[in-house]
Amino acid sequence: MSTETQRRGAALPWLLFLTLLPLLLMPLGAIFVFAGRAGPAGLIQALGQPDAQFALRFSLLIAFGTAVVNGILGTFAAYVLSKYRFRGRETLNIIVNLPVAIPTVVVGTSLLLLWGPIGLLGQLLDPMGIQPMFTPVGVLLAHLFVTFPYMLGAVKPVLDELETTYEEAAYTIGANRWQTFRFVILPALRGGLFSGLLLTFAHSLGEFGATVMVSGNLRLRTQTAPLYIFAQFEAGNIETANAVAAVLALTSFVIFILLQRFTQRRERRVS
Amino acid sequence: MKARLLRLRLPRQHAPATRINWTQLWRLLLPLLVVGGLFLCAIWPWIPGTRGPAVRTVVLYGFSILGEVMNEAVFPAFQAEWQVRTGEQVEFVDAFAGSGTITNQMILGVPAEVAILSLELDALRLVDAGVLAGRTWHGLPHGGVLNRTPFIILVRPGNPRAIRDFADLTRPGVGVVHPDPLTSGGAQWALLAEYHSVRMVGGTDGEALLQLRGVWQNVVAQASSARAVRTQFESGFGDALITYEQEVLSDRWRGRLDGEIVYPESTIFSEHIVVVLDRNIAPEQRDLVDAFVAFLWSETAQRLFVDYGFRSVDEALNTGNPDFGVIPHPFTVADLGGWEQAKAQIVDGIWRDQVLPSIGPGGTP
Repeated sequence: MSTETQRRGAALPWLLFLTLLPLLLMPLGAIFVFAGRAGPAGLIQALGQPDAQFALRFSLLIAFGTAVVNGILGTFAAYVLSKYRFRGRETLNIIVNLPVAIPTVVVGTSLLLLWGPIGLLGQLLDPMGIQPMFTPVGVLLAHLFVTFPYMLGAVKPVLDELETTYEEAAYTIGANRWQTFRFVILPALRGGLFSGLLLTFAHSLGEFGATVMVSGNLRLRTQTAPLYIFAQFEAGNIETANAVAAVLALTSFVIFILLQRFTQRRERRVS
Repeated sequence: MKARLLRLRLPRQHAPATRINWTQLWRLLLPLLVVGGLFLCAIWPWIPGTRGPAVRTVVLYGFSILGEVMNEAVFPAFQAEWQVRTGEQVEFVDAFAGSGTITNQMILGVPAEVAILSLELDALRLVDAGVLAGRTWHGLPHGGVLNRTPFIILVRPGNPRAIRDFADLTRPGVGVVHPDPLTSGGAQWALLAEYHSVRMVGGTDGEALLQLRGVWQNVVAQASSARAVRTQFESGFGDALITYEQEVLSDRWRGRLDGEIVYPESTIFSEHIVVVLDRNIAPEQRDLVDAFVAFLWSETAQRLFVDYGFRSVDEALNTGNPDFGVIPHPFTVADLGGWEQAKAQIVDGIWRDQVLPSIGPGGTP
């Protein structure tokens, strides 16, 4: 990283700060202000509720699951779409990115109409006792769908940029496909993988629209933290809602900071 | 690149005596520790051995305003009674949302065992969708009616707009906050109150239509449930909110009512219906679900409903709450020929077909 191109001076950073203040920073701050309005005892009491605890844990688990599955699936999709030429590649490339543009509520509805007890596939599965909707599996399915493009978007550009000569060199010295992937491609992908996982995790943690449709919104069973927040807000318990929201925001913040530092240092060492 | 990696690893593996770069190791481990710790924390209750004794569960879906009374009073009372009677622990898994919303969820197949709906119309939709085998709630005590509450008007402190009855809500410039009849049972009750209250005090059908239209021309905000619309009103929208008396009373007792109740001359008493979803009840669950449903009409539970501002189906218990206001000319949906007729004639025939088309976007005529 060259320092010469970095400019000094406070004018533009200040301008950025002032622009972001009403757009981003103050709304974020409001979460914590409202969360703390009932005092620290109230905050602890709000977070100590069994349903709040469950919602937070459940959200974290779903986010981990989504990040792991889409981490692998997204990398695989990026690899195939970037390295292979086949008929329909362009179309597929567009389709896999569509989930970003579709309203999440629509995603939830279509999952219900597919896997639900009266859905196309659900009707066939129901007699066998398999019912993915309104269970954690349904929530995971919704999150996998909604967050799929993030991993792909983070990894594919890196793969596209990666010179094929490195791979060819690896093959010429006798590496097989797996070894090439493991020792040549994967190290270069590290930054992309991390940011992809991060985005997937964070989006899953905050997902609302699709989850509310497919989860059944059952307290202590399928209610994720965002659904819990919304239910509490609807019931007028704004402090409770904001206490959980503050934990979500803090969790994301800590994970972002740690992983950002982690990836930055890696990149610096590589260069 | 590979050589660098090797140099970094070899000393650690083969020569532990050499100095370990603690900062670097720490920086590498910290994120892993945090993520790992977070994962452990998340999965903790599911690790075998950390769970308490097995408990039986009842899955209940309820319409929005029932949340507090069920979670804070009725569930704990039943849990205590069941524990004494059988020694078993019961856990309630529940979801509260607009009556129409939970009805749609049940049609789509959520595993509800018992549901409490804001109005019989939603129960009838469950029959049409095949979720219920027939009008099974008629076999429950009081024809499935769990409790009642009249529809009243909530206004801002001091009643600055001098609102005394539904008719005052038709005055130009009064902003009304209303739940959405598409998803909220309370909204449909409110429609009947806004319309039929005119006829109850001697008005004609034409005057009733004028009043309904006048109220709807003043609707400035809608939300999906009675609960959501109250939150909207609390955040400063509008001058008046048409809602369940129970909502407002429970707010008053919790010391967070920021407004005044106006009791109309005539209004409707909503009747909340219990349905038992037999197809979702496993045979081994039957005794528990039946006991819980019977408990809902016990004196204990009915008294709890009165404590939380609902009017009991047992009139004698209603004197136990001095805060209940007096309504000179009350009516129920039976006075309109039942919900099917009221829906066809008033909600669809008048509100949807005559009132809605006459008001443009934004609530202006």
